[in-house]
Amino acid sequence: MRGHGFLLANYVPGDSLVHRSPLAVKFLLVFACGLASFAIVDWRISLLVLAGLCGLFLLTGAGLKRLWGAVRPLAAVLLVIGLFQWWQLGAPTAARIVLNILVCVVAASLLTATTPVQQLLDGVVKAAGPFTRFGADPERFALTIGIMLRSIPYIAGTFADVRDSARARGLERNPRALVLPVFITSVAFARQTGEALAARGLGEAED
Amino acid sequence: MPDVTFDQVAVAVPLDHRPEPKVLLEDVTLQLTEQRVGVIGANGSGKSTLLRLVNGLIQPTAGTVAVDGDDTVRAVRKVRRSVGFVFTDPLSQLVMPTGREDVELSLRRSVKNGTERRRLAEAALDRLGLLHLADQSIYELSGGERQLMALAAVLAVDPAVLVLDEPSTLLDLRNRELLRRTLAGLDQQIIMSTHDLELALEMDRVLVIEQGKVAFDGAAADAVNAYRALCSESLDNLQARGPQR
Repeated sequence: MRGHGFLLANYVPGDSLVHRSPLAVKFLLVFACGLASFAIVDWRISLLVLAGLCGLFLLTGAGLKRLWGAVRPLAAVLLVIGLFQWWQLGAPTAARIVLNILVCVVAASLLTATTPVQQLLDGVVKAAGPFTRFGADPERFALTIGIMLRSIPYIAGTFADVRDSARARGLERNPRALVLPVFITSVAFARQTGEALAARGLGEAED
Repeated sequence: MPDVTFDQVAVAVPLDHRPEPKVLLEDVTLQLTEQRVGVIGANGSGKSTLLRLVNGLIQPTAGTVAVDGDDTVRAVRKVRRSVGFVFTDPLSQLVMPTGREDVELSLRRSVKNGTERRRLAEAALDRLGLLHLADQSIYELSGGERQLMALAAVLAVDPAVLVLDEPSTLLDLRNRELLRRTLAGLDQQIIMSTHDLELALEMDRVLVIEQGKVAFDGAAADAVNAYRALCSESLDNLQARGPQR
């Protein structure tokens, strides 16, 4: 399978202020950005928030290339959303929606670029701790996040492979030739992942 | 060495629109105590089914499978702690974005302290000469490096038995050799299916599986000869029947 675009930036070791910030603060930042995307109604404020987050991202030393790498996979989708919203609701609303989505992506990338995955999972386990009284296993929450981080690039890579195969057979305009194989491969991947986890005894309830 | 026993084991799966189930494995009785056991046979002969039984990934429809006396159905969690499983395609096995994170994932259940987990993960990677690749994305690794990374993640929890399902099938010559040398240096009991007959020849005991049955069980060289004879016979039969309409 080919190299994969990844929606969120991978961890970059560093000693910046964001790296040193407690995980809870970074979690809160992502959460606040998610809420803000609903609350902000002026595209200029969205632009300011996005600029601030991009500035923070660059301060971490993760670099412009990684920032672009986090945004690039969304570019086509954002273009479609932006054009549709422009047609339906006008330019200011379209700009606000697109910018707010970018705010969420950059905030999440800031978290993943400055936090090792294991630390992230430890944080999830800690945050999910109160749910143990309802019978939940916090390690399973962490495992779910880990699998999600891993599955996005796999499915993106599958899509790229399937698109190339369709192109090679002259079927690039046939949506069935694109969607069905990706769907089938994704289901097969889910089954294989489940089997691999079971073989390693991961995701099982604690003794 | 651990003791893996199959007692009159059969595996059958129901098929749509057919009254009779498909038999994947039948009447298998074995006691595996050698350090290196090879399993060879044609595609679809039942090799993977046999291996999956050892780890409890498949349950027998008849008979029992036990690892050191622990039944793979009733004591499946205990069995999985002592039996590591390496799949053909490491990409379906590596769950985390980097090798270090995947090895640490293996250790999460047994080691709660993050610093200790990191130290043990680094030691596991270092043992296979993979430490310099620890933080690289698994997509940036070569096929052999990925397979070794999957092996490191399994070995990190120190299983007594290592089951490998055609681990060299997707590898080029160099990576195959790298894997072979790594496996040769391990202390674990190894049960491995393979199409690589050179690798099979290095095993202490080799099983030949044909249409769900153990067609031969013995020394590696004899088993490989038996497998070659079976292949020739099957091809001769196919040619004698001529083209199908």
